[in-house]
Amino acid sequence: MTSPLILRSNNSQEGVLAWVSERLAVAMRQAEDLILRDYVVSAASEIMAGGGSNADNPTNLGISDFSLVATTLTTNNAYMFMSGIEGMDRFGTGPVRSAFFMLSSTELQTDFDALTGSGFKSQWEYPSNTSALPTEYGAVFNIRILTSSEAPVARGASANGQDVYYNTVLGKQALTHISQDGFSMKLIYRDPYYSGMLAQNATLAIKFAQAQALTQDTAIRNLLSTRFYGFFN
Amino acid sequence: MAEYSRIATGTIVSNGGQTLVVIPFTPDYIQISNRTRAIAASGVTDAWWYRNMGQGAAFRDLYGTGVQYIGQTAGTTTAALSALVGTGFSTIEAGLSLQYGPVYSHNSVATADFDIAKSGAGGTGPATTITTVTPHGLTTGNWVVFSNLAQTSTTGMNQIAGIPFMVTVSSTTEFTIFWDTSDAVYTAFDTATSTGNVGSFKKILYPVLYFPGVSFIAAITLGPTTTVQTTAPHNFVVGQQVAFRIPKIPGITPPAWGTTELNSLPNPLIPGSPIYGYVVSVTNSTTFVVNIDSTFYTAFNVVIPYLSYVGLNYPQVVAVGDVNTGGYPISAGSDLYPSPSVFNGFVTSTSVGARTINGPAIQGAYCNGTFRGFIIGSGVSGTAEDIIYWEAVMSDKNYP
Repeated sequence: MTSPLILRSNNSQEGVLAWVSERLAVAMRQAEDLILRDYVVSAASEIMAGGGSNADNPTNLGISDFSLVATTLTTNNAYMFMSGIEGMDRFGTGPVRSAFFMLSSTELQTDFDALTGSGFKSQWEYPSNTSALPTEYGAVFNIRILTSSEAPVARGASANGQDVYYNTVLGKQALTHISQDGFSMKLIYRDPYYSGMLAQNATLAIKFAQAQALTQDTAIRNLLSTRFYGFFN
Repeated sequence: MAEYSRIATGTIVSNGGQTLVVIPFTPDYIQISNRTRAIAASGVTDAWWYRNMGQGAAFRDLYGTGVQYIGQTAGTTTAALSALVGTGFSTIEAGLSLQYGPVYSHNSVATADFDIAKSGAGGTGPATTITTVTPHGLTTGNWVVFSNLAQTSTTGMNQIAGIPFMVTVSSTTEFTIFWDTSDAVYTAFDTATSTGNVGSFKKILYPVLYFPGVSFIAAITLGPTTTVQTTAPHNFVVGQQVAFRIPKIPGITPPAWGTTELNSLPNPLIPGSPIYGYVVSVTNSTTFVVNIDSTFYTAFNVVIPYLSYVGLNYPQVVAVGDVNTGGYPISAGSDLYPSPSVFNGFVTSTSVGARTINGPAIQGAYCNGTFRGFIIGSGVSGTAEDIIYWEAVMSDKNYP
């Protein structure tokens, strides 16, 4: 898919161009992420969280939901992303199991914190942070959790009218992202001489083409959940 | 003088309500001429819109009356057309999923309420009926999702809350969805009498940006081949591989949802090898047939006790793999390389989908259904099957 975002700017505005270029580069990467995100929302099958206590459908995340989705994926022979982290003699830390990745919303971080002591281990409690990703929030059993403010949320879509969060849990072989030859991300700048007959406007644009696919449908699930209402609004 | 401007023209068949025209830009001028209305000498024969008029506005030429003005959405208009506010033209950019329209609920607009009748036995088509007090604003083919269908703390229809449904519109205040609510586990629902006046539904604005996707199963007919009916368009094509996910729910009699033998895993014959079905025929946008012999499988049912809705998992079918079944053939009058078509929430027909803006993509593979363009609203789209010629323009410069 090609997704051009075009901005026009008067010439003799180099400062503006530099600033717009930076913003456009961010927009370029976010667009790429959102396309992949929405594709996964559309294509991957769903498990409704039922282990929480808020009597909704789906419920808020309970410990058993992490166990259920990891069991589903391992039963389907999905490969885990990460090896475990061996325990060390460091106060307040503990070993981390080999794990799948789960991509979640930052809005769920209060719910994860609420599971501390029940199975949730924050990234800071890993014996070593060397394998932790910058966005990694923590781990529950065989799932390591990455959070993003851009994670998919269906507002007001639960049985009881609360926000529904799509927590994508995936094994190694689940998903692929294809950048077609010659169509990877391009930041295009055409100076005014080439952008119009009167050389009045410059053109600054991005262009990319990408494709995505589930390579193994049994190795990915969207774990849908709501929030435990009392924590965050 | 064209540096950035775009112009597109074409023909569209009206669906009698909101009619989508997909083009590769967002226009700021639109004009239509309705050939069918002009020949019949009745109704709206021409209409046009400038971006500065606002979304939902239009000028229209009503045969025998002359030019009239339809005000923009939530705006003001002449008293004679006050009921048509917002039913002109609007532009659309469908790029992000999980977007919803306004919530319809008790007093969401003055005197608004709706009820859901217990119905649907037989499972042959859309059946459960929703009746609204004020116009629901939906068109056949739209998708909706319900919430808070609790008549009391222990009765109602919350089992179907959260499921995406395609609607079939019977009138401006009545539509149907495909689900069998005839069993005693469902209680008729009414926002006017429900505890706390709860209950709502809302339109899913862009339900199919990438297809084929996850579909929820409403009925299964067992036999030498297996016929599956979904709550909303599945967008499968013949040759597509599909996988079933039918949850087992403990403690429910009869076993819900029943036909777990269709599940892709576990495979009792070849451990670890998922069982996939091939779509051998597509009956319509919500019904397809797979080549799995299910003659002796457990019957499918939707008998879910009310209080089981908490954490309830739904039966699903998903597309798997990329099956190259070839692009659409070129035919007389068709595009040079016809793109795949999609039932994307804006298509009234259950047999012919909307054209995407893609090139000759492979049918059966995952496909991009994002789109831009404009909607010809119900105030200017004539009646179903009208032939409408359109022109859309994106200008070099617009002066507000």
